[in-house]
Amino acid sequence: MTAFRYALRVFGFVLFVAIVVYLPFRISDFRASEFALIGIYFIAILGLNVLTGYTGVISLGHGAFMALGAYTTAILVADHGMRDLWTIPLAGLLAAAAGAAFGLPALRLSGPYLALTTFGVAVATPIVIKKFDGLTGGSGGINLFEAEGITGLPEFIVTLPGGKVLSFNDWLYYLAWTIALVLFAVAWAIHHSHFGRSLRAIRDNEIAAAASGVWLASHKTLAFSISAFYAGVAGSLLAIWAFSVQPGAFPVDRSIALLVGLAVGGLGSLAPLAAGAAFLVFLPQLAQGISKAPGVPAVIYGAVLIALMIVLPMGVGGLLRWITGPLTSRLYPRS
Amino acid sequence: MRVLGVLALALALSTGAASARPSADPGISASEIVIGGTVPLSGIAASYASVGRGAEAYFKYVNARGGVNRRKITYKYVDDQYNPAQTVQAVRQLVQQDRVFAIFNSLGTEHNLSVRSFLNATKVPQLFVGSGATTFGRDYKRYPYTIGFLPSYIGEGKVYARQILKTKPNAKIAVLVQNDDYGKDLLAGFKAGLGAKRKNLVAEQSYDALSTDVSSQIARLRSSRATVLLLITTPPFAIRGLVAANRLGWRPQVYVNQVGSATNIMRIISATANPRIIEGAITLISIKDPLMPRFKNDAGMKLYRTIMRQQLPRGDVNDGFHVYSMAVAYTFVEALKKAGRSPTRASLVRAVANLNLRNNPFLLPGVVVKTSSTDHFPLDQGQLQRWSKNQWNPLGKIVSAKP
Repeated sequence: MTAFRYALRVFGFVLFVAIVVYLPFRISDFRASEFALIGIYFIAILGLNVLTGYTGVISLGHGAFMALGAYTTAILVADHGMRDLWTIPLAGLLAAAAGAAFGLPALRLSGPYLALTTFGVAVATPIVIKKFDGLTGGSGGINLFEAEGITGLPEFIVTLPGGKVLSFNDWLYYLAWTIALVLFAVAWAIHHSHFGRSLRAIRDNEIAAAASGVWLASHKTLAFSISAFYAGVAGSLLAIWAFSVQPGAFPVDRSIALLVGLAVGGLGSLAPLAAGAAFLVFLPQLAQGISKAPGVPAVIYGAVLIALMIVLPMGVGGLLRWITGPLTSRLYPRS
Repeated sequence: MRVLGVLALALALSTGAASARPSADPGISASEIVIGGTVPLSGIAASYASVGRGAEAYFKYVNARGGVNRRKITYKYVDDQYNPAQTVQAVRQLVQQDRVFAIFNSLGTEHNLSVRSFLNATKVPQLFVGSGATTFGRDYKRYPYTIGFLPSYIGEGKVYARQILKTKPNAKIAVLVQNDDYGKDLLAGFKAGLGAKRKNLVAEQSYDALSTDVSSQIARLRSSRATVLLLITTPPFAIRGLVAANRLGWRPQVYVNQVGSATNIMRIISATANPRIIEGAITLISIKDPLMPRFKNDAGMKLYRTIMRQQLPRGDVNDGFHVYSMAVAYTFVEALKKAGRSPTRASLVRAVANLNLRNNPFLLPGVVVKTSSTDHFPLDQGQLQRWSKNQWNPLGKIVSAKP
């Protein structure tokens, strides 16, 4: 049975990879750029899942770690002539360090108090960025378009033997999704590791976890740090994707949107989080397509979100578990 | 052999590039021209949505009368939530998926900056940017496909400085300024205009556009004992700033910048604070204000009200952004007429840089929209106004607001 479940998992992952590789051949050039954005949000949501989905710590401030990653890449590429690709891991590591530094004192707080602390960080982020305008370019931000280190400019066109033309949008797509798949595998490993089980124990009952020998502070700090790494990488990719960064790109809404994506994808799920990322990119467009009258898109967005949470309280991941449950856990009593 | 390989690769790449490029510019046919832009329709700046709706109403009016050279103008404006990252996504959608002919009337300084390089690299016109940041008119050599519309903030700042030096050369001046590119630009122009008298500027306080309160800044400005207060603020902060000043019993000579001085805003200040605090306030405007009684029988404003009634019946007629956006749309239509019977992106950009429009019905009488190959500031004139008896009254002649 375990062998069957394992095979199913591997098959699922291979199918996921196959879809990711094949998709640009089926969609338009512009859609590739949108799916690249979905990949970027997917990474950030995967990271938030480590913190919120497993550990049960709610962060309303992950937009700040994305901003840190984005500015790391932008400053290194625009001012120091680095190639964009090499800045991606650096952005992640810097965000991870910031996450650990923030996590150490903040984790003395719990529940809503910690959530509010992270919210404060998100609120302050755009203002702090503007404050250091010598480094960050102030409210106008940093333009990467004319920097030498950018790999995929609009002139980037490669014709494949089959006649498929790869544009810079396809390049951004493959870049974002390659990294997303690697980080997805890492998240999967965390999920099934001793460390991942410890995190879930913390979420379910802190006292019981501590009694079982889980060191709360180190585990929570590490979860915070890993989560910030993902956000930093996502932010870095966002800067490369947009060819620019501005403080206005990281409002509080950005942090809250990540939480929305996580809830829609399903807390504690992995692959279904991609659906949450797609939700973030496509729903505002759909809402606008229905009506542009004042306030209407926002109301549609809110209504769909409420309806979704009523119908699918565990998100898309919960729905998939409900469908595949009989296949994978037939011999075990359902909890 | 290696040379051959490189040549073959170059050939493969160039044919790839050539086959991807269609022969005529996208977004235009014999019966239609499609343009697009970004406007905040939701989020903190949703009140700017009128800038999209008013322009759309004007185009519908033009289309109902046969369009331009029998082409109907379709204007797709997309919500960017006033977030520059969303602007990037929306503009890529407009250019790469909807294949618009040009980007038009997009709102916001950072938002237009975030896509300027992309649009110039792909040779898509970025026309009549909804920002007075000086870079959009000044840096045309580097970004030939981009042009602004509003009078440059630097020029506007200089006009206020000249007026203060003329009327109160020794008054101490305090400034409340929004801490972004717009605020910095206008303040820089103001300081340049003060020249040797810059020491008169005794206090400077900034606020963030995301904040909600400016009373501590106003208290500090007041303690500088300044007698002139310049507000470089958007409407909500002009209101909050003057309400706070009134609460402190401060009565400076008020200057409000064009962005925050619409008549309906001034009337809110008058009602919520005190009519006396803005009595004698001064601003610079270039566009007709729907609440100005002297334009009640003006032909341009009659046209404006007709278009609002026919094309945008649910819109607020007193919202000055509607007039502004029709002024921009009018300018676009005139430029399109000049771009030839079969306009290309290049011919439209040439026409935009060769305008001399003396009778834009939505601009103040006497304000001329003029551009040339070396002047990419379409609107660089305005008229000072003085607030009294609950309305703006002209103060002197049309003045230049060149940066």
